[in-house]
Amino acid sequence: MAHRVKLATSAIRATALAGLVWMSVPAAEAQVVLKVLSNRYPATEFYVKAMEEAIPGVKVEVTFMPVDKVLEQSRLALSQGSDAYDIVYVNDGIQQLYAKNGWLEPLDPLWAKYRAEYKLDDFPEALLEKYRHQQRLYAIPFNANTMLFFYRADLFKEKGLQPPRTFDEYMKAAQALNTSSMAGTAISLKPVDAAQNEVHWYLNAFGAQWFDDGWKPAFHSAAGVRAIEAMKAMTKYAPQGFTSHANDETTVNLQQGLVAMGIMWNTRAKPMDDPTKSKVVGKMDWIAPPGGGTKMALDGYAISRFTKKDKDLAFRVLLIASDEHRMRQAAALAVPVRKSVLGDPELAKQNRFYPGLLAALNVAKPLPPLPEFSQVGEIVTRHVTEAVTGKVEVKPALDAAAKEVEALLAKRGYYK
Amino acid sequence: MHWQSALRRFLIPSLLLLALVKLYPLGLSVYLSFFDYYLPEPERRAFIGFGNYGALLSDGRFWASFANTLIIAAAALALEFAVGLAVALGLYRLPVGAARVLTVLIFLPNIVTPVVAGLFLRWMFASQWGLIAMSFALLGIPPVDWLGNPAWAKVTIALADSWQQIPFVVLVLYAGLQALDRDTIEAAVIDGASGWKLLWYVILPALRPVILFVLTIRIMDLFRLFDAIYVLTGGGPGTATETLTFYTYRLAFQFLEIGKGSALGVLTMLVITMASSSGSTGLATCIWKPAFKARIRSSARP
Repeated sequence: MAHRVKLATSAIRATALAGLVWMSVPAAEAQVVLKVLSNRYPATEFYVKAMEEAIPGVKVEVTFMPVDKVLEQSRLALSQGSDAYDIVYVNDGIQQLYAKNGWLEPLDPLWAKYRAEYKLDDFPEALLEKYRHQQRLYAIPFNANTMLFFYRADLFKEKGLQPPRTFDEYMKAAQALNTSSMAGTAISLKPVDAAQNEVHWYLNAFGAQWFDDGWKPAFHSAAGVRAIEAMKAMTKYAPQGFTSHANDETTVNLQQGLVAMGIMWNTRAKPMDDPTKSKVVGKMDWIAPPGGGTKMALDGYAISRFTKKDKDLAFRVLLIASDEHRMRQAAALAVPVRKSVLGDPELAKQNRFYPGLLAALNVAKPLPPLPEFSQVGEIVTRHVTEAVTGKVEVKPALDAAAKEVEALLAKRGYYK
Repeated sequence: MHWQSALRRFLIPSLLLLALVKLYPLGLSVYLSFFDYYLPEPERRAFIGFGNYGALLSDGRFWASFANTLIIAAAALALEFAVGLAVALGLYRLPVGAARVLTVLIFLPNIVTPVVAGLFLRWMFASQWGLIAMSFALLGIPPVDWLGNPAWAKVTIALADSWQQIPFVVLVLYAGLQALDRDTIEAAVIDGASGWKLLWYVILPALRPVILFVLTIRIMDLFRLFDAIYVLTGGGPGTATETLTFYTYRLAFQFLEIGKGSALGVLTMLVITMASSSGSTGLATCIWKPAFKARIRSSARP
């Protein structure tokens, strides 16, 4: 037995020595690999592919996730100073938090360096402003997203209804079109992102605000209470399970003719005419949401301050992927941000939803530029869901949400 | 003996690894639970003693998540044990060959990754166009809002976990049944015991150690249930399916409140320890203590 122990010990020592020798042999020269963390929808899939093809010898490894998971993952990685990702997806909301915490690479020197070569003046300053923090630019916008009002034009015509412009018209149309086999309207209240989008629309449409000028909660005002009471009334015409519906579920409901109308992202407009997935090809139409005020988000990519890769290289990959030619190709998938592409009248001819999209963009509103807004959104949508499902009355629910939000922001030093 | 003491050296790498992946994170978590620590502002981290614990214990949301945990765990445990025992007993009565084949088939759900299982269960439970909703519609049964109704959402989580874990319960109980002393069972049969009496007075008491084991493991797993909730309901609707573990995840990974999240993690660990040690013993006792008393009474009769 002692002999066996000696043999085992010798075997372990030999294995360890072999491992040390193997690790000391220099690896073959590796190509540059940029790691990208991105939200997944058709437009981002297109742009990430464009990044992969941008520069020969530069490989792109992408991790796609739903938006709230992407933000969670990037927050965790960047807060630890990790170089797990070189390029991260950001939107105009979350970029504020990341830039404030010093997690993103300021792009101004690189922007100035490549301004002429990549025609960077083609990006509207109004959109670039959304990606500035203390006057420094931190991300490149790739597309603007907003929520349109999708409605079944064929059913409206059948019932002699006009596309709703106000909330009263919206409610009457939902009531008229609600049947046992088709819900009058979609409502997406899955926590947190989907519910936040619906609440944002209702608050804006009824003239309520999230915050006052001093960042005190204002959503529990009389207008805010009316907004959520209206949402509660609309749930009579919503499909079963709406409290668990997000973008995917509502898109399927619209495509399968299970709901007559509702708000949804412009990126989901083109699939309504996809005959392989949709039963309502040619029947859906789009307008600006009744009352206006749906969410507008500016999606883009930023470079992590902690990347060990060449930042100039990463920047050029992003610029090539977002050049005019590629934005024109992606125009059917999402709203391009370059002036030369967005203003092209040919796009409206090629995409049925463009007139509705442009109308919706005119009345869309971004979320408040508060770095802690994701937490605020969670608090408010939690209480709103309880109110809308009848667990609590609307006013007490909003008051409770306001109290919780105020405590959160006080702790973060917003009130002096 | 010399070679045995030499073998102890081989334990050192395992112990070091265990310390690194288990003890260090646990210790760090306990340490951080005494701090007010918001991850994006590490420079403002401050020691607050038991402040996080006090805040949690006085937080209605903590108690609501505790209640949700108890409800979902109790429902799932009852279903898993009842169905698992019934299936194990059924397999026990079959010829060995047939039982082996069925065991493999029955065990298939357990080898599916929980997140993957959650994803296709989500589409099955989807209202209106999910597979279950469509099946109910064909049978003329009114549709159920599996994921959108607060009460039904809890049931759905319990069902989803049961679907995956009943095979594990079956496997363990079946192995326990196969290890039973056949002479004892035959003697009981000769004495006139059959069916329900055989099960209650002979088989279950003999299976006590195995039942204890499976209940302990399931209680621990159910109190830590996360995957099914994350994929199916996201803790919703509202907070209807937000359990202790899910609330911990929200605090730490969504709100980046590391101190509070760590404190909740420590509290959850204490709850699981108490629940698994006392709950499984108490449950197992409830099953056969009446059986033992009845046996003693019947054997005491002339």
